[in-house]
Amino acid sequence: MIFISHVSAEEQPCSSQALQTLYDPKIWVTNQSGMDLSEAALGNLRFTVATVWVKSKRRQAAAAFPQKLVDGRQTVHTKGGKYNAHAPTGLAFSRETFAKLTPGPFLQAHLQQPEPIRPNGRSLHAFRTPTIHTGSLSHSNGSAVVRLGDTAVVCGVRAEILLAADIPHPPSEDTSEDDLVERLGLLVPNVELSTGCSPDHLPGNPPSTSAQALSYRVLSLMHTSNLIRPGDLSIQYMEPASDDDLPDEGPKTVTKAFWTLYIDVLCIALDGNPFDAAWAAVISALKSTRLPRAWWDPDREMVLCSPLANETHGLRLDDIPVASTFDVFSTGSALKQRSEAESWVLADPDGFEEGVCTETATVVVRSEDGDAGGITRLEKSGGGAIGKAAMGRCVHMAQQRWREWQGVLHGG
Amino acid sequence: MQSDRRRLNPPPGGTAPPVFATVPDAKPQRPTRTRKPDEHRKLFLRTGIVPSASGSAYYEIPPQQQQQTGLLVPQRSSLKITCTVHGPRPLPRNAAFSPNLLLSAHVKFAPFATHNRRGYVRDASERDLGAHLETALRGVVIGERFPKSGCEVVLTILDGEEDGWGAGGTEVKGGGWGIMTVLAGCITAASAALVDAGIDCVDLISGGVAAVKYAGRHGGQEDGVVVLDPAPSEHDGEIMAACVVGYLQSRDEVTEMWMKGDAGTQVQTLIDEAVKAASLVRAVLAEAVKDGVQAKVGEAEDEAAMAGSAKEGKGKRRCSGIYEAGHLDDLLVRTPF
Repeated sequence: MIFISHVSAEEQPCSSQALQTLYDPKIWVTNQSGMDLSEAALGNLRFTVATVWVKSKRRQAAAAFPQKLVDGRQTVHTKGGKYNAHAPTGLAFSRETFAKLTPGPFLQAHLQQPEPIRPNGRSLHAFRTPTIHTGSLSHSNGSAVVRLGDTAVVCGVRAEILLAADIPHPPSEDTSEDDLVERLGLLVPNVELSTGCSPDHLPGNPPSTSAQALSYRVLSLMHTSNLIRPGDLSIQYMEPASDDDLPDEGPKTVTKAFWTLYIDVLCIALDGNPFDAAWAAVISALKSTRLPRAWWDPDREMVLCSPLANETHGLRLDDIPVASTFDVFSTGSALKQRSEAESWVLADPDGFEEGVCTETATVVVRSEDGDAGGITRLEKSGGGAIGKAAMGRCVHMAQQRWREWQGVLHGG
Repeated sequence: MQSDRRRLNPPPGGTAPPVFATVPDAKPQRPTRTRKPDEHRKLFLRTGIVPSASGSAYYEIPPQQQQQTGLLVPQRSSLKITCTVHGPRPLPRNAAFSPNLLLSAHVKFAPFATHNRRGYVRDASERDLGAHLETALRGVVIGERFPKSGCEVVLTILDGEEDGWGAGGTEVKGGGWGIMTVLAGCITAASAALVDAGIDCVDLISGGVAAVKYAGRHGGQEDGVVVLDPAPSEHDGEIMAACVVGYLQSRDEVTEMWMKGDAGTQVQTLIDEAVKAASLVRAVLAEAVKDGVQAKVGEAEDEAAMAGSAKEGKGKRRCSGIYEAGHLDDLLVRTPF
């Protein structure tokens, strides 16, 4: 772990001891949220632009970023006033090394420029362009592959039959239809991260807390947004008229079984923001799901399905909610005044930014009057840097993202 | 299925897969093998799909020509395998000293990969596959160059080969022949990923599978014909024995061999055909690995260039040679932001 020094300008150590600055015992440890970018530390570490990332925008970011610091003779404007860095000689760190040693100050230095830019080349509010491909799996009722930058997830939907007679505690007659899907547990999503998608998620361990939380968030979002109607999932049977019936009663329709949808999301590659990608994959897979025509056979007392492809029906999903995640990078810490802290909201964080930021917010938006509108869900955790105004901006960005997604979901 | 307390569980009543009724007037034709006995299906292989891993590869055998029968159950399944390699990484502090690289292979079928839904907990067949794969890779990795290190090879099978043909309304019989083709694919994919990760190997290992079939109840060729790359849906009920080998072509060595069934007098022919299948696969493997390395070298050259250069890095890598693209194609394209 690298330590950031609070060495004042006058005590600037000799440039050939730049490395010593970092390991000086008088330097104190800051935790991740208490990052403070010392003028001295930056001024003495000259990192060259030699290592440039291949993507053109990243190159722009790299070009833009260390301009002030490459030479060392430039004036570094940081909070607390100007500081003249002396020309450093000797040690030079590459960008990658700097990012690995001090991820927080690295990100902060990018964001503190007059035109804030992120290390991956995106602007603060830019989302990654999604790509969706459906129908590629041969054993599923519906499937989707979603790529969001370097994050890739595969979702497969399998439908199985739950007989009404097998339900241990059947819901009473006056249960509202909206709650039926939740009461019976007809949607079973699972997000699996331990597939080797990143070095932190290797198989052999049971799902971590974050993985379990992801599955649960997807499930609760599906229930609260009433995504699937119970009518699409029930298999009904019209009982034939018998002698016991009263003459003016029509034939009764009884629900004999339900379709249960197993929604399995596997993460193939992870570079930040698994929730948005998983939710998009679930939505696309459900949109492309085809359920066979099923009926109750009274002689065999079982449910039979038709194997013909033209007798399948899809699920009615007319109002699709779209999720957008934001991370907040803040320089605040418990040891400083709140007013001194700066914070930036980063849309669609990638793996590096997720490791550095502690605060996160997710906004789920669905349509209202044909355009992006109603907020279905708002989640925020990890800190107090976002206020009402910033949250309002996040909601606005989420609505913009909803419009982008409509094009991809319905066009692709 | 046991209830897994860390995952969301099915409804308490328990669910069953749908049972399809037979439709008398729509009798589908069983697919037959149209290629020659010594011809392999088209393969698709690409490396570098997971940037955060040390190395990765994606292997696919696309579905052959689908007959339009209008039936829901697929005629022929495809095989899709993703492999990621994480390593060499340092062993944990409390681990004993090991002078060689500690290789561990994990194979997992996705829940939606097979006809019957699989759970998330690894079962015996997946552990068995992992053991076979480890045997194959141990013979090819130069372990003594990486003391005190470990390497994880993780495979996820997104779409697995079926054991038989399920569209005729008959049950898919066991026999487990599909898993032989899966193992051959796993060996090839793991080999590509290891090379992508830069782990020293003596050679490229490729997996090949062959089977002995008899005429069976559908008529056809005479008994005891040995075929390369058997697709179980084409040879439903006809396979008598099958063999998978992991083969190093330039050293003419077999690191792993798994034979199932009764091959009778054809044992030697069966092994030879499997080795021939592995040689055919190696051509695709070498092409894919070369493409991957060229792309990496191209990116490294771009990185060495200064910021002002206008040269665009290689965003999209060429497909491997003459083989057609797989269906999860956009999974593999690394587009710039």
